Amino acid sequence: MTERAGAPPDHPPDHPPATEEVELVGHIVDSLTLAKVLDLIVDAGADYRMEEFDVGRTSTDQSRARLVLQADDPATLARLMEQLQVHGVNRVASEPAVLVACDHDGVLPAGFYSTTNLPTRVLVGDRWSEVVNAEMDCALVADADGTFRAVPMHRVVVGDHVVVGLGGVRVDAPRRPRGATPFEFMSSDASSEKPKALLVADVARRIRLAKASGARVLAVCGPAVVHTGAAPDVARLVHAGWIDVLFAGNGFATHDIESNVLGTSLGVSIDEGRPTEHGHANHLRVINEIRRSGSIAAAVADGTVRSGVMYECVRHGVPVVLGGSVRDDGPLPDVITDVVEAADAMRRHVQGVGVALMLASTLHAIATGNLLPAGVETYCVDINQAVVTKLADRGSHQALGIVTDVGLFLGQLAGQLGA
Amino acid sequence: MCPPNFFGVLYEINPWMHRAVAVDGELAREQWEHLRQTLEAAGATVEMQPPVAGVPDLVFTANAGLVDGRTFVPSRFTHPQRRLETVHDISWFAARGYTVVPLPEGTRHEGAGDALPFGGVLVSGYRWRSDAASHALLSSVTGVAVRSVELVDERLYHLDLTFCPLDARRAIVAPSAWDRYGCRVMESLVPEPLVLDDHEALVFCANSVVVGTTVVMPTCPPRVGAQLERWGFDVVVCPVGEFVKAGGGCRCLTLALDVVLGPSPIAVQRDAVG
Repeated sequence: MTERAGAPPDHPPDHPPATEEVELVGHIVDSLTLAKVLDLIVDAGADYRMEEFDVGRTSTDQSRARLVLQADDPATLARLMEQLQVHGVNRVASEPAVLVACDHDGVLPAGFYSTTNLPTRVLVGDRWSEVVNAEMDCALVADADGTFRAVPMHRVVVGDHVVVGLGGVRVDAPRRPRGATPFEFMSSDASSEKPKALLVADVARRIRLAKASGARVLAVCGPAVVHTGAAPDVARLVHAGWIDVLFAGNGFATHDIESNVLGTSLGVSIDEGRPTEHGHANHLRVINEIRRSGSIAAAVADGTVRSGVMYECVRHGVPVVLGGSVRDDGPLPDVITDVVEAADAMRRHVQGVGVALMLASTLHAIATGNLLPAGVETYCVDINQAVVTKLADRGSHQALGIVTDVGLFLGQLAGQLGA
Repeated sequence: MCPPNFFGVLYEINPWMHRAVAVDGELAREQWEHLRQTLEAAGATVEMQPPVAGVPDLVFTANAGLVDGRTFVPSRFTHPQRRLETVHDISWFAARGYTVVPLPEGTRHEGAGDALPFGGVLVSGYRWRSDAASHALLSSVTGVAVRSVELVDERLYHLDLTFCPLDARRAIVAPSAWDRYGCRVMESLVPEPLVLDDHEALVFCANSVVVGTTVVMPTCPPRVGAQLERWGFDVVVCPVGEFVKAGGGCRCLTLALDVVLGPSPIAVQRDAVG
């Protein structure tokens, strides 16, 4: 119901946090016992998540709160538990997870457990097993080695053992890194009234940190990146090695190539901002030429494409996933037109991503947000605050919205990173 | 009440008890008799529980359990020395036709010593002698809402050393014995408190017995007495020094039988939640 962070450490510890599910029953609201217990948890430097809270309907009814406590290490948690037991807090005995085998390919057993994008564990027998990848809206499938995987519905096969019901599944509370992060001075989730230069400098710093720790940086680009004249900045970032993976659609790739081959984006001159004669067909002509070459990589090789974001990605071996849509012209030969296949391709490439930049993209940003574990720092840059809100509403709470013109943002970011 | 025939400080289970300090049996008997007569003079009917050799604290009947109409919830004592009392308490109430409803084994609750009705709820203390978790069970058994108050001063180890309801609006309170959450709960519960200072609390002013408008107290500093008289109470001091050696005052030596728990018509209208 509520969620509150106590005092997570500056650097997350390398071992998983210790957690304990507890319960408190009685007239805990009017007796202020619940308030006291929550204060004690926070004072101990631990976190809690309220899993369930039934408030008594009348003054004589009892209330019941079920919480998951989380501390950095088992010793802190044990000390806290000792303190809390005095006030009537009791451990909730966990029941093991129920596993049911799939009897159809691509069909989950009824009542399947639907995942979040948070770190998750499953109780099998008396042992908690880690879920190796966090992805929302998936099922939990048991692997032969005793671990669990988050698997999308269409990927399960007959005989896969899937967790059914809520029992025996524990989800750890999200932890936002504390200290000087761009999240820190955000009181709201979006930033329309915050100093942009400071934000950009902080995003640049987080990217440097992520790269230094071996994590990868993902950019998800919408066509507005090209329309606003920021594609050369993205090309510089790819060229300088700051971007490791790129997700986009037919539109972004097409306009990037159009602007580099013909100097227009959707027929509008990038340099002069004026529509060019018969320019409305420019993107079709470009798509046609790439189709003649066979692929974007082939068009780079044969000299059809000599600059731009797509060019830099090909030249630097940066993987690109172009997901198609029903309104695409062409499309480019590289576009994956089967959306399920496109999502699977994206799924393969989000492994190891530590920072995601959602750049003026709505549909691909949400699709990517759905695939990312909650631990991935996600910056959603859009002139329209609704995009940012939409991403958060769909469960990507780790997204920080930066409401600004993507062209200005990327120019400053490339400058900050010396690209 | 239970006569002090076998009373003595035979073990040490609170900061007041020292086996080295001898109890004057004759004086104890006199003090106890004086208390009984005072209560009867104030209008109370006193029923007797027979004393038992080897069970010295049976004299502190407040800790036998909790009475709610014709239901008796026997205590679950913290200390094994006092657990010997329970069988005698249960048989006394069962013989008088009370329904005995025991709390589950493993819980701790020391009866009326740690639970006093006020304002339509049952105020119950916890930490030294009773568990907070037992409050939810008490509420389930009696159907009455409980306000849990944490006791933080080991010298005031039972609620009845810190809280004495006087009438529907007034009570003697010793907030120094409660944690800050408990203080806030009690502040909102008691419209007109008589607040004891540390010293007044430690001489067991709150461990008094109220019979109608008579307040029978182990001791009464002038300030406290003056306030009680302004409110229209008659104060009678009954020294029980021999029993203070075991950590008990007037109220500890009695268990009220005319208790029916449950919300008063006024309390029902309060928009309290769980």
